[in-house]
Amino acid sequence: MRYLTTIAALLLAGIACHAAEPAPDAKAIVRAAVDHWRGLSSYSEMSMVIHRPDWERSMTMQAWTKGDKKSLVRVIEPKKDRGNGTLTDDNNMWTFSPKVNRVIKIPSSMMGQSWMGSDFSNKDVARADDIIDQYDHTLLDTHDADGMIVHEIRSVPHEEAAVVWGREELLIREDYVVLEHRFYDQDGELVKALETLEIEEMGGRTIASRQRMAKADAPEEWTEIAVNTVEYEIDIRDSVFTLSNLRNPRD
Amino acid sequence: MINTLRILTMLAWRNLWRNHRRTLIMLGAVVIGVWAMIFMTALTMGMVNDMIEDSISALPGHVQVHHPDYLDDPNITNLLPLPEEAIADRFRSAGFLAWATRIKVPAVLSSERESRGVTLLGIDPQREEAMSFVDYSAVEGRFLEGPDDAGIVIGRKLAETLETELGKRVVLMSQDPDNDIADRGFRVVGLFSADVQAYEEQYVFAGKKTVQDLLRVGDRVTSIVVLGDDYRDVEPVFAKVSALVDDGVTVSRWMEIDTYLGTMLRVMDGFVLVWVIVIFLALSFGLVNTLVMAVFERVREIGLMLALGMKPSGILGQIVIESMMLLVTGLTIGNLLAWATIKPLESGIDISVVAEGMAMMGAASVLYPQLRFEDVILANTVVLILGFFASLSPAWRASRFQPIEAITRVN
Repeated sequence: MRYLTTIAALLLAGIACHAAEPAPDAKAIVRAAVDHWRGLSSYSEMSMVIHRPDWERSMTMQAWTKGDKKSLVRVIEPKKDRGNGTLTDDNNMWTFSPKVNRVIKIPSSMMGQSWMGSDFSNKDVARADDIIDQYDHTLLDTHDADGMIVHEIRSVPHEEAAVVWGREELLIREDYVVLEHRFYDQDGELVKALETLEIEEMGGRTIASRQRMAKADAPEEWTEIAVNTVEYEIDIRDSVFTLSNLRNPRD
Repeated sequence: MINTLRILTMLAWRNLWRNHRRTLIMLGAVVIGVWAMIFMTALTMGMVNDMIEDSISALPGHVQVHHPDYLDDPNITNLLPLPEEAIADRFRSAGFLAWATRIKVPAVLSSERESRGVTLLGIDPQREEAMSFVDYSAVEGRFLEGPDDAGIVIGRKLAETLETELGKRVVLMSQDPDNDIADRGFRVVGLFSADVQAYEEQYVFAGKKTVQDLLRVGDRVTSIVVLGDDYRDVEPVFAKVSALVDDGVTVSRWMEIDTYLGTMLRVMDGFVLVWVIVIFLALSFGLVNTLVMAVFERVREIGLMLALGMKPSGILGQIVIESMMLLVTGLTIGNLLAWATIKPLESGIDISVVAEGMAMMGAASVLYPQLRFEDVILANTVVLILGFFASLSPAWRASRFQPIEAITRVN
């Protein structure tokens, strides 16, 4: 759910108006950032651009989130993909495509594959954020940038955590907007990074409104997600996050 | 009677060498034919044998016990309905060569850059040492140390594909019986190599206890595997295992689990016969031709013998004996030649040049020709019997000559 979060809630982060704590604890910062991405619930419309050296495609999507477990994403445009949806609930993930008129539960064997052809994997989208508890966090550095304090945090996964990365590094601003999220392999080489390109005030919060995921060894291939509109802390019925709603939208 | 036979034999032998050049050429053809039959059969049998033994070692176990649905759907929901302890109680004292319980399920292994579908084997390494296709001592790093080992052992080729290496972490993902995702990080503690490259990509080993915890199955397993003495004769083990388990499970022989292999074993035995007959058909044209020529050359002579009172059956016998002599001589030399070429090769022929192709067929890159007595007997018998029938036709024609016509025939 980390990047659905990206899509729907991470971008909404920004409740934090209070200044940084005097003695910031790395884990607490990460937890706060994660909590702020999510909010209690949200509804947003966003567009995703998948870029390759020889082609590019974009789609527009609606997304609902509730709590830290539930999310639903549905494609509005382009027309031929309209109605394609992804539902996640507590680490499980289902997709629906009107063309085949079938709900498919994503099996574990497909969790590593790309989500809707983007640079995000299914696992990126579906996994509830393990980053708080399954990692050891250290605060590397705190510096000033554009008048705001930025925390640089290194997160190393536990020995038995289901994480392939050697370590991850997060740049989190004092208002808990994640500026950058870098993934390193076990040799310490950068594999991919999620970068925040634009930060805007939206739906009453300061959020990362445009983010780009790119592989380090193929900078010409990236996926960008931009938030168009967003509302949050709204009332969403639980029935939104059901298989029948995934199949038959009742708006 | 004996006397006639003696005369006929002498006549046949002398006739055979009257045109020794033609006879030698025919003899050469028979020798090469027989050599090819036996040599090629030995190569094929060697390859099949290798393939079967390799594949059985990967099963492993000549007899296996599963949930009735497991073979159709090797899924973690199809667990054996017996806890491990109960199984051990029954099998411990049964006196098998080797037996083990294991968990074998499909899984996905991912590194930072790649992920691959694999077959996860949760094993107790001590129990399986005798039956595994992995040579524990040849593992780079170390093999698993016990059922609760926290590491994972993967094939060298898989490590290459995943761009990972010894000492790095990989993530193993599978499903638990409730269809929920079960995943965990493992450190690669060993890299194994296998004769068959495909196994290096397909199988990953982890401790049985560790896997049971990961998949949340308690003390259950998916399979019991039992090793017998000879893979061609699994019935005694099968009967013994069947007596030990309850009704709710399926006991299968290896040829039922890998029906492809079982069929192959049977097809190959049939194939040897077909191969021998095909070569013989080619040979038989030469043989019949030689005999027909010999008969045509001797039309007047045969007419004379008939006129002098030799019975038609004597003529028939003479020509059949002639052909038999030719074949027996050819067979003897051919057999010796085949034996002489196979013996020095029995230590193995290195065919690593085409190893990749062989690996696709599931065969190893060293070929051990296998000379089986029954194949030699088969080839010889087929040649003699069919040779006998092939020579009947010219012999029959010769014996039907009218003496008067034959004597006056001008060649």
